[in-house]
Amino acid sequence: MRIPDRRTFLREFGLSAAALPFVAGLPGLARGAQGAPSRQRLIIVFSPNGIVPPVFWPDETGEEFTLKPILEPLSPFRERLLILRGVANKVRGDGDSHMRGMSCLLTGKELFPGNIQGGSDTPAGWCSGISIDQELRNYYQERSETRARFGSLEFGVCVPKRADPWTRMVYAGPNQPVAPVDDPYLMFEKLYGQMKDRESLRSILDEVVEDLRRVRARIGTEDRRLLEEHETFVREMEMELAEGGNRTWDVPPPQLEDNVANDNDSMPALAKMQIDLLVNALRNDMSRIATFQFTNSVGGARMRWLGIEEGHHALSHDPDLNAESQEKLTKINVWFCEQVAALAGRLAATPEPGGEGSMLDHSLIVWTNELGKGNSHTLQDIPFVLLGNGFGFRMGRSLAFEQVAHNRLWLAIAHAAGHAIETFGNPGLCEGGALDLVSA
Amino acid sequence: MMKIWWIESWAEAKRWASCSFLASLLSASVAWSEPSGAEIYRTLCVECHGPQGEGVAGKYDETLHGDLDFEELARRIAETMPEEQPELCVGDEARAVAHYIHETFYSHEARAQLMPVRVDLSRMTVKQYVNSVADLVGSFREARDQGQPAAEIGLQGNYFKTHNLRRNEAAFERIDPAISFQFGEGSPDSEQIGVEEFSIRWRGGLTAPETGDYEFCLKTENGARLWVNDEETPLIDGWVSSGAEPRQERGVVRLLEGRVYPVRIEYFKFKDKTASLEFWWKPPHRPEEPVPPAVLSPGRVSEVMVVTTEFPPDDSSAGYERGTSVSQAWHNATTRAAVEVAARVEKNVRELSGVSSEESDRAAGLQDFAIRFVERAFRRPMSPEDKRFFVADRFAETPEDPDLAIKRTILLALKSPRFLYLEAGRAEPDSFDVASRLSYALWDSLPDPELVKAAKAGALDSPVEIENHARRMLDDPRTHAKIRGFFHHWLNMEEGEDVTRDPKTFPGFDQALLADLRESLEQFLDHVIWKGSGDFRELLLADYLFLNGRLARYYGVETAAEDQFEKVAFDPAQRAGVITHPYLLTAFSYHKSSSPIHRGVFLTRKVLGRALKPPPMAIEFMDSRFDPSLSMREKVAELTKSENCMGCHSVINPLGFSLEYFDAVGRFRTEENGKPVDAASDYATLAGEILRLRGPRDVAEHAAASAPSREGFIQQLFAHVVKQPIAAYGPGAAERLRVSFEASGCNIRDLIVDMAALAARHELPEHRKLAYHENP
Repeated sequence: MRIPDRRTFLREFGLSAAALPFVAGLPGLARGAQGAPSRQRLIIVFSPNGIVPPVFWPDETGEEFTLKPILEPLSPFRERLLILRGVANKVRGDGDSHMRGMSCLLTGKELFPGNIQGGSDTPAGWCSGISIDQELRNYYQERSETRARFGSLEFGVCVPKRADPWTRMVYAGPNQPVAPVDDPYLMFEKLYGQMKDRESLRSILDEVVEDLRRVRARIGTEDRRLLEEHETFVREMEMELAEGGNRTWDVPPPQLEDNVANDNDSMPALAKMQIDLLVNALRNDMSRIATFQFTNSVGGARMRWLGIEEGHHALSHDPDLNAESQEKLTKINVWFCEQVAALAGRLAATPEPGGEGSMLDHSLIVWTNELGKGNSHTLQDIPFVLLGNGFGFRMGRSLAFEQVAHNRLWLAIAHAAGHAIETFGNPGLCEGGALDLVSA
Repeated sequence: MMKIWWIESWAEAKRWASCSFLASLLSASVAWSEPSGAEIYRTLCVECHGPQGEGVAGKYDETLHGDLDFEELARRIAETMPEEQPELCVGDEARAVAHYIHETFYSHEARAQLMPVRVDLSRMTVKQYVNSVADLVGSFREARDQGQPAAEIGLQGNYFKTHNLRRNEAAFERIDPAISFQFGEGSPDSEQIGVEEFSIRWRGGLTAPETGDYEFCLKTENGARLWVNDEETPLIDGWVSSGAEPRQERGVVRLLEGRVYPVRIEYFKFKDKTASLEFWWKPPHRPEEPVPPAVLSPGRVSEVMVVTTEFPPDDSSAGYERGTSVSQAWHNATTRAAVEVAARVEKNVRELSGVSSEESDRAAGLQDFAIRFVERAFRRPMSPEDKRFFVADRFAETPEDPDLAIKRTILLALKSPRFLYLEAGRAEPDSFDVASRLSYALWDSLPDPELVKAAKAGALDSPVEIENHARRMLDDPRTHAKIRGFFHHWLNMEEGEDVTRDPKTFPGFDQALLADLRESLEQFLDHVIWKGSGDFRELLLADYLFLNGRLARYYGVETAAEDQFEKVAFDPAQRAGVITHPYLLTAFSYHKSSSPIHRGVFLTRKVLGRALKPPPMAIEFMDSRFDPSLSMREKVAELTKSENCMGCHSVINPLGFSLEYFDAVGRFRTEENGKPVDAASDYATLAGEILRLRGPRDVAEHAAASAPSREGFIQQLFAHVVKQPIAAYGPGAAERLRVSFEASGCNIRDLIVDMAALAARHELPEHRKLAYHENP
């Protein structure tokens, strides 16, 4: 057998030969699949500015329904869908509809009075409550069987660089907005950063050793001992870098496309990279809770790749009678739906690590929006499309409620996760308790 | 353990007493020749002390080494040795053996002969590493008002009429000394700015007085952001207000002492009922307080690269931090720190290299930058071969990705012993070593461009050139920071951190007062060393303290000052420099009472420069064990009365008792426990002279006039500055420094220059005559 030199050996060992000592000891990493209960994941996807109701909501309720054009990309998952119409964001108080639509969406609680003036209503500040994803994150992190390295991951795509109630939907608590990471390279850094550093270190290892030897040769015998000792540490580093294998992760990190600019025109590429990273992180059980935020409330993406020059928000103000705008808005929403479908497709195609079925069988995607409809700024009929079998709801249905408060949906999701809270957000909006998504 | 030990040696002595040789020693009538000191040592002492006084495990395992002179040593031997049978060796025998011991291995000179000390190869200490990285990266930044804290205080404020800092809505600008505003329902300027909305941007520099983590706090009910040493990402983002109550938005950042950091605050009000903004911080060793105007300056400054990687502490077993050993933890820290620095440089590569991303030959520009970076890290020019090895090969490896090549070059450079060690691998020191020796001695950091220029031009060879540079470098915040570090160590200032006092006995003594005391001592040191005479003796003899209003009230004196500290004169009999500074008196005290032992040990070791062995056994002072009617002095005298203790406590106690005029918070008193204070006792100096000490002034005057005290100070300061023992620089080095120190009127500034120059000249080819230790 040919014995490879160190460098060849390391190169051939490759990227996956990573990282144990840098990350060992972090909760959720070293845990074996054996005996662990089935994983349950929640992914909340946000897209802005309302939808186009006539081409979004199915006409029928119950198990027999036909998908309208916007939801058409989800047809492969028809049996795993639960479409909820008639769920309303009933939080009132300070802030315009876009602000409350966003910052009360996952929290179900009022905004504090503040200094941020919207297009109407009174100025407002941050939300006064925690968001449902963070509520479940805390619940999961308190328990060793559901704890993960990152309790939750907040993905973004083209989120503006400002922190205000329009750009934040995740709250760790009152007045504690959590910023999404919209740069895939930064997200990679967060998830796998130490590994990249190790790769760089490996690349200079031979030179470090050679340099040390050359310096050592030039110094007096009395002082050599110190450098010899130094050299033993370099050797240990070398061994540490070579060891590890991919014991820590079930799958290696995704290969991201290089040099993608974090700007409007790269949105499709950015979305794909972020979905890759999300699926990868979930496969490696780095987190069981994630949010995925496209732009922001009032988001103005210009989807030139669809042939649309106008900004999304500006279009969403156009009247229903403007057929051209409605068509463009439909296209925009179809694009968002395709992203949800791509995410679901990736999860459906991946066997559940250490479990049965696919990852989608153990996950629930909730696709939502800050408004029911852009030009009316209504907070009624907020789109809630649930996808996946992770939370034990009866899927394959289209349901219509009579403008029930969305707090009750979050209660249903909390209960399905085993978190038996009686109210969530504003208790006054929880009357009637959790929505029944299992039997009814 | 102790018990067994003396029984063994006693049994030994008895066995030995039966031999005929003993008879000869005891009987003057027998006409034996007088035994030599060596013979007596071999017979009576070697069993416990070993052939070279190195000690014997299980018997007496301390080395016999100290600073007692021959006479005093003889007296001690006559009185106490051999253990439990001191009568076996008295008079001329004691003198003979004392002479032998003193000359063979006990004295400093004898030890220097026995094991010559040399300048050991050293890696950078942690402070040196952190400073070097800051200056290395900083040397590539745009030079703004860098370095010197500006004379003007406060931040540059730009005021706007509307809430979004729009230039076309600018109202006026001015310098605000303090960022503390209660606008209430009004506006910053009723004529130019309305009450409904306005915005303000402040910018400038902030000087960090100490190294450590700083917690900043913005208190406002409106919107505000704060940037500190990062012009891109805010440390605090409190842009969104929530409710009418002022919020406290916080963020923590690590800063290095003596450097100026860019700071920016943006603030706005929009339709909130009221408006206010307070800018607070919690620096190391101080309670939370408004950011004092004195640390703010309106000029523009650049970011400083502050390494946040945690390093293991340096070895300070020799009394100063030094880099003569390496460990796995240190090695790992240098790896993590190299990764941290490489990532930061990669992120800011455009600013640091001056090479824009559009440039046609970007790779060549970056390669040039990489060469300069490595040369500055190594503190000397590189050979063509080194340039290839450290830089060109890295760029050749990744031709498509010069940014990755930069990263790898930096990792390699910062992992190299050429960066990590001072003077690794040079047969003969050259001008670049001189530059480095000066900068590490004075700044704990890399040479500046002027030093490098001088080294390149061969203008750093003569003693005059070297001294001129040292003098130029003296008045740099980095020198001040380094010397402040020495005084913290010399005065054991860490002993005073977080001390608490019994609130019933000392009402009003809290952490804020303690922080003021520390500041008072800092200001005193700063005043004497840098602003005033620079005279070492003034540190011991000064009859004044720097006090603010709060301290003046607590210590019962008058001053007009409230927030700032002012010089307040005391009765010279009551206060004597650092010896009676209330911070130190407090630090060396118990919760409820003074501690003559702690004070005495401090005076013995630090102020008088005398050596003390560690106590043979640990005995805890337990106040409750004593008759409550006793004075502290009586309790200590009782506790330490045994022969075993008195070897050291005969020195420690008189010194400690002389400070009994001060209670546990350093207030002057004449009574303790209902009895008049007795601070007088007899103290035997190193020279064997008996001195009557009646109070602190007697101690101060003795110390100020004593050669061993100065020698001790010089030795400790030298080790702190150079990170090597002074003995490594030749047998005459300490003496030469002392002579010139005294000739300069004990000027500490001149002494520092002298030390740096002495270390810089060491073993330079043209100064061979100064070297005493030639490697064969």
